[in-house]
Amino acid sequence: MFIETPALLPNLTRITVMQGQACVSDGPRVEFSTVLGSCVCSCLFDPMAGVGGMNHFLLAEPPHGTACDDFDEHYGVYLMELLINDMLTHGAAKTRMRAHLYGGASLNPGLARIGARNAEFAHDFLAAERITVVREDLGGTQARRVDFRPARGQVRCRTVESALAPPTNPTLRPPSPTGDVELF
Amino acid sequence: MNAPAKLPDPTDLPSPTRVLTVDDSASMRALLNHALTGEGFAVSQAEDGEQALEWLALNEVDVVITDINMPRLDGFGLIEQLRAGTRHKDRPILVLTTESSEEKKARARSAGATGWIVKPFAPDKLAAAVRRVSH
Repeated sequence: MFIETPALLPNLTRITVMQGQACVSDGPRVEFSTVLGSCVCSCLFDPMAGVGGMNHFLLAEPPHGTACDDFDEHYGVYLMELLINDMLTHGAAKTRMRAHLYGGASLNPGLARIGARNAEFAHDFLAAERITVVREDLGGTQARRVDFRPARGQVRCRTVESALAPPTNPTLRPPSPTGDVELF
Repeated sequence: MNAPAKLPDPTDLPSPTRVLTVDDSASMRALLNHALTGEGFAVSQAEDGEQALEWLALNEVDVVITDINMPRLDGFGLIEQLRAGTRHKDRPILVLTTESSEEKKARARSAGATGWIVKPFAPDKLAAAVRRVSH
């Protein structure tokens, strides 16, 4: 299970997980940190393997009055799959994974929909993959800071000054030629 | 009296290209099913290499699209087993993966894959690739 409020740990290596990134570790002195506004972060943990991972994303919002297909679900599924595959490479099993979800706040009333839509995506994805969400802190109007120690599944989530949250720009696909087909 | 116009024989219509997708992610299977059925393909889906082999033992298919990282039997193992027999020796197999390393791509190629696609996939490019390898 996830344990809250990690104690101070000497020689801690703190890694900031930026928007669009996924990080996985089984290092006992590793801590992943991120600050979220409208963005959502998923923390996955396999208690038997002692492995955890965090990602951080903000998918493009569907413009008003358009089909939901405009929401970049393809990229979202890809970012979640990157995290899960990295967990598997570190010895985790999908059936043992447990999830925490944080973020999806509405810091700007004009952008109320994007955080909620991203939180909904993360929920739907984890439900489809049969990964149980054991704790979530989503929505609201305040930014959050999340600290996660992956090897033990310890999480701390607290609200912070909204000015600390990164600007609300959707996580765009990298310019690399993903989706291109190479025939051998 | 004129002879009645001959109606087209429904059996003359081309049957849709049959595609088997192999991916352990339910979300990815849903995206693939939506993208490929929308392009007129007949789609079947398996959750890993083992399930794909069981399905292929009883069913015919024109193109296989497989992920690499899967439990039980991964994409490399699936390709190797299909190529080891005679029935699927020449079956087009497209790899669709989050892997971007040249080493993994080379391994897929030497196992007998027909093509390599890095996720996130573009539905139109994927459909074009399926059409190209199935003819």
